[in-house]
Amino acid sequence: MAEAKQDLPFDLTLTDDQRITRETMERFAESEMRSISRDADEAAAAPEGFYDKVIELGVNMMSIPEEFGGGGAPRSPVSNMLIAEDLGKGDFSLALGALAPLGVANVIMDQGSAKQKEKWLPKFTEETFYPAAIALVEPRATFDAQDIHTTATASGDGYVLNGVKALVPHGAEAELLMVIANLEGKPAAFLVEKGAAGLSAESQEAMGLRPMSKAKITLEEVKVGADALLGEKEIEFDYQRLVDLSRLGVCAASIGVCQAVLDYVVDYTNTRVAFGEPISHRQAVAFMVANIAIELEGMRLLVYRAVSKAEQGLDFHKEAFLAHSFASERTMEIGTNGVQLLGGHGFIREHMVELWYRNLRSVAILEGTFHL
Amino acid sequence: MKILVPVKRVVDYNVRIQVKSDNSGVNLDGVKMSVNPFDEIAVEEALRIKERGEAEEVIAVTIGDSAAQEQLRTVLAMGCDRAILVEAPSDLEPLAVAKTLKALVEKEDAQLVIAGKQAIDDDSGQVAQMLAALLSCAQATFASKIELAGDSAKVTREVDAGLETIEVDLPAVVSADLRLNEPRYVKLPDIMKAKRKPIDTLSLAELGVDGTNQLTVSNWSAPSAREPGIKVEDVAGLVGKLKEKGLL
Repeated sequence: MAEAKQDLPFDLTLTDDQRITRETMERFAESEMRSISRDADEAAAAPEGFYDKVIELGVNMMSIPEEFGGGGAPRSPVSNMLIAEDLGKGDFSLALGALAPLGVANVIMDQGSAKQKEKWLPKFTEETFYPAAIALVEPRATFDAQDIHTTATASGDGYVLNGVKALVPHGAEAELLMVIANLEGKPAAFLVEKGAAGLSAESQEAMGLRPMSKAKITLEEVKVGADALLGEKEIEFDYQRLVDLSRLGVCAASIGVCQAVLDYVVDYTNTRVAFGEPISHRQAVAFMVANIAIELEGMRLLVYRAVSKAEQGLDFHKEAFLAHSFASERTMEIGTNGVQLLGGHGFIREHMVELWYRNLRSVAILEGTFHL
Repeated sequence: MKILVPVKRVVDYNVRIQVKSDNSGVNLDGVKMSVNPFDEIAVEEALRIKERGEAEEVIAVTIGDSAAQEQLRTVLAMGCDRAILVEAPSDLEPLAVAKTLKALVEKEDAQLVIAGKQAIDDDSGQVAQMLAALLSCAQATFASKIELAGDSAKVTREVDAGLETIEVDLPAVVSADLRLNEPRYVKLPDIMKAKRKPIDTLSLAELGVDGTNQLTVSNWSAPSAREPGIKVEDVAGLVGKLKEKGLL
């Protein structure tokens, strides 16, 4: 974590590393993601080997300390945010699928005990994709991250977990799940390995995020050891940090999608001719496009600022809340207006806007999907 | 063997260029800059040659102001071993660029220069040819394939009529065409490693090059918008139009 700097103003200049990373990610998103986005959506699966390709870039291992086989770069939520944005522009679902394990690694780096780091972090530095995810959301209409129904009860040397989780990335295949459960009235995180007795997964189909596999996870009397509880006894688990950084992770990736929408509609409305001129000459169209640009930039600044404060080690809860509330609404609006601006063309699958719309519907409900 | 690869900092190919309102140049304020795409291909080829064990060192060089170090960092992250920045005005003309590169080839004793066939900003496309002439060595331009064999290189060139394969003795200057290869994605750990790689800075004077421009650019302007085309009803209409224009 960078040393705490003065709170305001925040700096938007990229470091050399971030600039080169962006160039790479932008090109990767364009050539390796956008090109397969439609097919992956139709197939409701990421193409074979896709996640390994992202791993090859070093995305997940970069900030893991060298002693665990990682790249040894400083832990940087800002750098992760930029990667999420760039990959999100390629494909939201594939981006979140690829980055979900990094979210788990980030939480372990931030809040894990020395033993947990030693045990788990090397897994994320392997050359092939290590499916792991945070299991936070629970399947009920009024899900509130502050009111976790999944329970953890101390039993013997360890804990027993009971409850149901929803929309868990890679839920069925995950080698490692970070399950958020209520322990003595407070949310806590437990590292649960694949194959634990009493753990079952049921694949969930959804209107969006189709390429990333998602599952409903049921925990029935799942016994875990004392070392499964994230963190150390003396240090209180910072649950709010986990929630805030994972909300911001989803927001960052959604900014990329909204940028894709904006680029698409600017081009479309300037070239689509009706009544003898491009439709962008009509104010009703031009204003809608301008509003997308304004809202997107507003969203981006709110998210950047929240993450910048997190990186500086400052309290960022308020900023994260504002950014997430704004993005939850605006992404839906931008998604629907992207479809609207293309008229009848927006409704048919020939254009990407309907796919982006379906994906953007998920921003408000995804929590824990990608922790920056 | 050492391979020297010149790289140029140019306006990113995705940027819509705008001419300054006083027509004195292109507006570069806040514009995204990148490595010239053809130079990226040249770097990739040099790295592949090195990875095949046919070269020991790949040296990237750029000629321009200190901001061009950004592009050197990028190619170092791709895998170049070290880099040289020759400080000079960024509008240095092709002949002066070629003279500078000649001095560097001699200083480094490079056996092979792989350059992009042209820069996408001024599209001069002259440096590789001029450099070969100044060095009195072989040149193989617009390469789509390079195979090294001892002291020579077999190069497939993209020419108007198709492909032409020539063999040149080393040292040689080769210029890279679009289809030579597809540059790799920079891996994040390599970006970290690149920070430890050296960038040497030299001046034109140290290399004995006179950077005075021979040409004066009087005016810059954007290309005029293309007139919209017309649709003809049928073949007869098409033939009629072509005759009307004196094309048939």
